Amino acid sequence: MILAGILTPLEDLLTWALTNLHDTVGLPWAWSIVALVVIVRMLLVPLTVRQIHSMQNLQAHAPEMKALQTKYKHDRQKMNQELMAFYKENQINPAASCLPIVAQIPVFIGLFFVLRGFEGEIFPAYRAMGEGTGDLEWLNLVHIIDNTKVGWGPLLVVMYAISQLTSSYLMSATMQPAQRALMLILPIAFIPFVLNFPAGLMLYWLTTNLWTTGQGLITRKLTPKREPPPKKSSRTPPKSEATAKAERPAETNSTNEPKPVQNGPPRVKKVKRKKGGARR
Amino acid sequence: MRYLGIALVQAWRQTFGRLTPEGTCKYHPSCSQYALDAFEKHGLLKGTGKAVWRLLRCSPWSHGGVDYA
Repeated sequence: MILAGILTPLEDLLTWALTNLHDTVGLPWAWSIVALVVIVRMLLVPLTVRQIHSMQNLQAHAPEMKALQTKYKHDRQKMNQELMAFYKENQINPAASCLPIVAQIPVFIGLFFVLRGFEGEIFPAYRAMGEGTGDLEWLNLVHIIDNTKVGWGPLLVVMYAISQLTSSYLMSATMQPAQRALMLILPIAFIPFVLNFPAGLMLYWLTTNLWTTGQGLITRKLTPKREPPPKKSSRTPPKSEATAKAERPAETNSTNEPKPVQNGPPRVKKVKRKKGGARR
Repeated sequence: MRYLGIALVQAWRQTFGRLTPEGTCKYHPSCSQYALDAFEKHGLLKGTGKAVWRLLRCSPWSHGGVDYA
């Protein structure tokens, strides 16, 4: 109930955006959902690019910063001063936080409620104006208000599973085998839940996955070169390039190596020292 | 027990984590990686505590930076 209260203004905004994409732009409902995702993600691109750039610098200088932190361990004020100077020197922006990006989570939940109530709250007005259920279709496959169990819905679920597995596979390339296996099993474990989702929400999820994976591949491509990600090219990702990259994940992984190397050794060492025997 | 925590973090990554592209956290490693490391290193209880504290430290007023579990 409390959650619903917080989400109401957001739901109104999403409903407004959806109905406008449908009425003013003239998109079918399903494509209005896709367009809404693309708009939200496009608005976030400048922020994301700035954030990723800052984080790449942070990762590259991680050992030096760790050294600074250990050196001034007993003098927090001095440590903060040194760190701030270091940030400035290396173009790291610590004031930025992931909050605006995290704000997508309520948007997702809000859209879930909007789509769940679509049939009862939004569509009747359109039905009264003579709109048929045909306008709810997506590529003649699904009605966006139906559960994904209905009709061609399962195809959408399969597409979801594939997109989820692909991005998991690409994201987990540097992980431990056991954790990687878990990450690849989970999308399948989610399918029973997903079968109760409205197809419209599934569309939203698919579009989000495609965008996230594409964006991830492009930023990975830009990481090893250590050059500021060009904002304009990331706004309109070249498709051929993105697919070409997807075909050779091994190569992108090897260029991504420095991160796990920094991350791995200290962890392994300490685990062995402390709990080597008790762990298995 | 620690695998419960790891599974929960992975579940997060599969769902809402998808909405936050990698490399957008102000800390390094990211909060979810930090949580995984914390579970590996400290077990479920202390790992959860450390991970929650890390999440709470993510605010516009914190400095972020390098912070291993």
